[in-house]
Amino acid sequence: MAENKVLIVGGGFSGLTAAVEAAEAGSEVILVEKNPYLGGRVTQLNKYFWKLCPPNCGLEIQYKRIKNNGNVTIYTMAEVEKVAGTEGNFDVTIKTKPRFVNDKCTGCNKCAEACDVDRSNDFDFGMSKTKAAYLPHNQAFPLKYVIDAKACKGASCAKCVAACKYDAIHLDMKPETINVKVGAVVMATGWNPYDATRMDNLGFGKVQNVVTNMMMERLAAPNGPTAGKIVRPSDGKEVKNIAFVQCAGSRDENHLAHCSYICCLASIKQATYVRELYPDSKAKIFYIDMRTPGLYENRFYTKIKEDQNVSFLKGKVAKVEQGENGDVKITAEDIHGGGKITETFDMVVLATGMQPSTDSLKGAGITPTDDGFVDQATLPKGIYATGTLKTPVDVARSAQDATGVVMKSIQSLRRK
Amino acid sequence: MSEATVIKPDLQFVNEIIKGGGESLKKCYQCATCSVVCNVTPEGNPFPRKEMVLAQWGQKDKLITSADVWLCHQCSDCTAYCPRGAKPGEVLNAIRKQSIKHVAMVPFFARIATEAKLLPVLFAIPMVLFYVILVVLGNAGFTAPRAEGNIMAYHKFVPVPVIDTVFILTAIFAATSAFVGIKRLWNGMKAQAGEMQSSGSLVGDIISSVTTILAHSKFADCNVNRTRQWGHMLLFYSFAGLAVVTTWAIVYLYGFELLGIQPFGPFHFGESPYPNSDPVKILALASSIAFAAGIVILLLNRLSKAGKAGMGSYFDWIFLTIVTGVGATGMLSWALRLADMQAGYFVYYLHLVFIWSLFAYAPYSKFAHLFYRTTAMVFAKNSGRDKK
Repeated sequence: MAENKVLIVGGGFSGLTAAVEAAEAGSEVILVEKNPYLGGRVTQLNKYFWKLCPPNCGLEIQYKRIKNNGNVTIYTMAEVEKVAGTEGNFDVTIKTKPRFVNDKCTGCNKCAEACDVDRSNDFDFGMSKTKAAYLPHNQAFPLKYVIDAKACKGASCAKCVAACKYDAIHLDMKPETINVKVGAVVMATGWNPYDATRMDNLGFGKVQNVVTNMMMERLAAPNGPTAGKIVRPSDGKEVKNIAFVQCAGSRDENHLAHCSYICCLASIKQATYVRELYPDSKAKIFYIDMRTPGLYENRFYTKIKEDQNVSFLKGKVAKVEQGENGDVKITAEDIHGGGKITETFDMVVLATGMQPSTDSLKGAGITPTDDGFVDQATLPKGIYATGTLKTPVDVARSAQDATGVVMKSIQSLRRK
Repeated sequence: MSEATVIKPDLQFVNEIIKGGGESLKKCYQCATCSVVCNVTPEGNPFPRKEMVLAQWGQKDKLITSADVWLCHQCSDCTAYCPRGAKPGEVLNAIRKQSIKHVAMVPFFARIATEAKLLPVLFAIPMVLFYVILVVLGNAGFTAPRAEGNIMAYHKFVPVPVIDTVFILTAIFAATSAFVGIKRLWNGMKAQAGEMQSSGSLVGDIISSVTTILAHSKFADCNVNRTRQWGHMLLFYSFAGLAVVTTWAIVYLYGFELLGIQPFGPFHFGESPYPNSDPVKILALASSIAFAAGIVILLLNRLSKAGKAGMGSYFDWIFLTIVTGVGATGMLSWALRLADMQAGYFVYYLHLVFIWSLFAYAPYSKFAHLFYRTTAMVFAKNSGRDKK
């Protein structure tokens, strides 16, 4: 008899969806997540499609379903090291990193108050700092603090241990190896924003106030580094004149050959952040082709074009320079207007694309195709890929895909 | 509704560009990265994005005598940054080939210099020409009588007046070809530009263009191919140096023979060969070294940047081959003469073949860029194109 267990690698929107769907269909689920929290990229967003609600409006429901069901075992700060075996009988090796905080944590924040070591906050792409003892973000699930092993001074300091009233902090926790048997594996490792420093003509990392679209989400988010005030990283000036550079790395053989699908809509959405926050603001979107496929998406595009303060220019930005006082100068060819134009903005957002996150696939013996994604047809029986690992998709489509893939994984459990 | 514009694509033209090194043409999706990263184009209505779509649509008339196509210096910054591998630099080079053919006085010569299958014809013409001359002179065995002082001298192999006659005629042919080509190109550019905003001073525009060329300042605007600037500059000035050497040698010979000027100081009026201490020889040697260095830089640059900037086509390589051939056979024949080796005569024969090819094909090969790019630069200044 095959194991009635599904391993789900990745606890982002795809993995979460797969986990609750499989669990509610009666299978046991092992959910492995690299970060100390679930929810993946969606947790970093300010608002997301299609209802433009904050991320917790969708994630909370998923978390609640997990809690109520009881069939899901979650490993955070964990990665799959090895998957061996065949459909119905996979032996899985999971490695966890120490969190230094156990389940007794109540989220009281006393450890962070006691801690006097700072760390750069990767959740905000380095635009803020937390203490070495920190809660990843205010919607974190599981609601448990983490101690950053790199930043923490260890037992010699241990102020957090003394501050914790619940005996929740143990600085001597070690990495662990967990072996489980499962009948099917669902890979939902998601995506990373493409490294914008690799486009040497777009100024990221060199020119002040050039940010990526994911950084823009954090700047707009109420739980972000600026508490939702969209201001420039360099001097805190309100961003009232903003440009969006589409295809920053996407549709480019030198970077990501594929269209990342979400960036056009994301930039339109982010233009609305600025427009709603500052009524006298202006936004300009520089594009090759505006790609908003789908009924809802097209409506969204049509609607924003009614706003006189949002303009679109056909022509890819290929030069970004520092202007005066922290402003950013960008150059494009105005294809419809017929000339090279250089314009100055308060801040420039690079609409960077999706790079599939494939690092943790090696242990399962999965090799991505040349374009970086995983092709389901190349996978062994009983192993499935879902979400942005297969192709760039938005949140809604990744949820739909994950639900379908769960059906296939359950079939793998029942086959023998 | 406005009236419909009917576009008639010239498919043969599209195919010629594709076959002529622009095979990546159709990959272009008009993002305009190229126009932005190009530092050579005028800001208004920049190239090469519009040339890419015009070429895809077979708009031969708009491209074949376009000033913009010739203003391009093929830095290949566009090619390096092109997100589609459409290689605009290579495509514009392919269009320039068509442009050379279009304005050519003798179209067959343009074909020889641009079509790989005609390579044998390219070299056969001068090889036969000089072989016939050798037969007439009785030196077809690639040997020659010794000169005074029992030394080896190439003027005993092919006498200077013969060389002068052949090359003066060749030069006249080349100059006429260039003149006709420049005139056709200029008229074509003028017809396309419509109302020219003449700056009023053609001479001033020529002087300013030539100054730009002498300083190689346009090359400094290139990024990917920046090392090319030095290679090209060395080659350019070595050509200038060798042109001076040639003229100088003519002055020595006919100054002595016709005007009876006797050698004085370091100046050896009279017949070649001249001693290595003569200023003309020093200039010749310096130019040759600059020539060799320039060629090496250009070749290495081509090969090392092939991934980013493209490998070039027959058109580029045949020109580099001829230029390298001129230099290599020139240096080798000089060395063989000093070493008193008979093989020198055959190498000298090849040297003549290469030099003739360089001269005769100049307005038809890649060398034609000297005439046509200069024409386009003057036109751009004269029409105000460079400012808008």
